[in-house]
Amino acid sequence: MTKLMTATPLEMALLKDLPRQDPVRQRLLDHGMPHRRVEEWKYSDLRRLSGPVESQGKISVKSARTLMSVPVAQKHSPSFMAALALSLGDEGLAFAVAAEAQETLSLELSATAGRAHKVLRFELGKGAKLTLHEIYRAHAGAFANILIQIVLGEGAELIRVIEQDDAPDALLVVTSDIELSPKARLHQTTLGAGAKLARLETHVTHQGEGAEADINGAYLIAAERHLDQTTFVRHCGPHGVTREIFKGAARAHGKGVFQGKILVEQGAQKTDAQMQHRAMLLDERAEIDVKPELEIYADDVACAHGNAMGHLDEDVLFYMRQRGLSEAEARTLLTESFLLDPLERIPDEALRTRLLGQLQTRLRGQS
Amino acid sequence: MLKITNLHAQIENEDGEAKAILKGIDLEVPAGEVHAIMGPNGAGKSTLSYVLTGREGYEVTKGQIVFNGEDVSEAEPEVRAAKGFFLSFQYPVEIPGVPVLTFLKESLNAQLRARGEDEISAPNFMKLARENAAKLGISNDMLKRPVNVGFSGGEKKRLEIFQALMLSPKFLILDETDSGLDIDAMKVVAEGVNALRAPDRGMLVITHYQRLLDHLTPDVVHILADGRIVKSGGPELARELEADGYDKYVGRAA
Ligand SMILES: Nc1ncnc2c1ncn2[C@@H]1O[C@H](COP(=O)(O)OP(=O)(O)OP(=O)(O)O)[C@@H](O)[C@H]1O
Ligand SMILES: [Mg+2]
Repeated sequence: MTKLMTATPLEMALLKDLPRQDPVRQRLLDHGMPHRRVEEWKYSDLRRLSGPVESQGKISVKSARTLMSVPVAQKHSPSFMAALALSLGDEGLAFAVAAEAQETLSLELSATAGRAHKVLRFELGKGAKLTLHEIYRAHAGAFANILIQIVLGEGAELIRVIEQDDAPDALLVVTSDIELSPKARLHQTTLGAGAKLARLETHVTHQGEGAEADINGAYLIAAERHLDQTTFVRHCGPHGVTREIFKGAARAHGKGVFQGKILVEQGAQKTDAQMQHRAMLLDERAEIDVKPELEIYADDVACAHGNAMGHLDEDVLFYMRQRGLSEAEARTLLTESFLLDPLERIPDEALRTRLLGQLQTRLRGQS
Repeated sequence: MLKITNLHAQIENEDGEAKAILKGIDLEVPAGEVHAIMGPNGAGKSTLSYVLTGREGYEVTKGQIVFNGEDVSEAEPEVRAAKGFFLSFQYPVEIPGVPVLTFLKESLNAQLRARGEDEISAPNFMKLARENAAKLGISNDMLKRPVNVGFSGGEKKRLEIFQALMLSPKFLILDETDSGLDIDAMKVVAEGVNALRAPDRGMLVITHYQRLLDHLTPDVVHILADGRIVKSGGPELARELEADGYDKYVGRAA
């Protein structure tokens, strides 16, 4: 936003929410909300998509376990939305897993209509294990901005499963900041459906040596919805492994975005990083935008990315219908089998079964 | 059972141009009979199989397809399938990611539902699948793989007949199911097809070769050339073609 541009109603409201001396306020004044001329938001114009959000909303976190309430640490973040959450997040919630301990945590994060920000922090001690299940439910009229900070200690292991299925007129931005100590293992899987705009932005940093990250996702975008999955993986230590497998499908008037960046710093020799995105347009009026990026400063690495886009094959559909399946059933079966892969890789059996079931329900519920 | 009268059909290509392929076909296959269709490449045999099963882009411009007293020429493919049409494809299609058994169970149940019958239970389905697979020498491993993906030409044809056995259709159209089969596979497939012969079932067998017909002994052999049936006769007609070729019929059709 140039100074000449008028602030949108949401920007005006946020400017009022932010304390005068807060540097985030100045950033908002100077640049506005993220919009399509900002490279990282090229395909997801948050500024344009967000209408007026008059009231203050609330993000409640439901869990069988108790989360600790902690003050939000005021720290600078290069990501505007993360910085905004740090400035305006009402209270921070934290959960720590002690060294060598093993925990399971299931969270339901629901956002009511209105502006709301939240910061959650998870810490895994050395050799700790956590299975973390997050369900996002942003309701009609919500503008929910959530920052998740996760630190994995040496050799710690996190299985993270995210379900996103928000109201068609909700805005949701979840920025995850994940730091991997040496030999830490992350296995993240998302199942996304979109919202007016839902952005799941994941930053993973391989701080130490020999960490491993699986970052997978399946998405099925319904009509009039927009889902943006952006991943940014930074390899700082040597012998790190990253695997990304994303599979998606979009229906008529649905929009999907996949942006994946892998940055390999000079010291990150023997990095092994692969990123794959495959998507299917279920209708001519669906849109999927993809931007894979590799930026490599080390000379002894194995990095690759692949992307493929397709349609359901008419010959295959006829063959299936000849055997008795209706066109809708045939499409559902093909789409389902196309999307399964990332979900079948979930290491936790209960969560794997749950998400495969979710996919089935979503496919059959909205055709 | 199946009565085709004065059937004209055209294919619409991607640019929307129509091309007349079937130019007035009359054909009647009574229940319990096996009819063979032979004819030169490009005559319209596969086109006929697609028109009968309702493939998009194959438009009936004139005439009728009456199945058990009902005109089905406008029905959707799945509706015709539920009424009992089964096509063994000349070129079976690969269905990535969908295992054979999943596909067939879904298909069979879809047909049963469409006919207002009860769905088949999982154990009964498995039992049926095992029995039919054994008849055709189809391995367990093949049943778990995605439909036709990575199957050899002969395996695909065998799988078509396996599907026919599983779905137990009322009317079978075999489009060159014998092409690409080795001698032993031909026997196995022919036995599978023969097992499907029944007083209440009709068959249309499209082929270029005598060998399958030796196994099946068709009731009638038709010659299709340039979109018309130019001659019909007994099994001896197939033998005559084997010896003399299509020359005199192609001439007559032109
Ligand atoms: N999609 C299409 N667009 C245009 N022409 C087509 C199309 N499909 C088939 N044809 C033409 O229609 C004619 C009949 O084809 P068809 O496949 O029915 O022949 P066939 O008798 O089955 O031949 P074969 O013995 O080689 O299998 C051919 O001339 C073919 O080129
Ligand atoms: Mg043919």
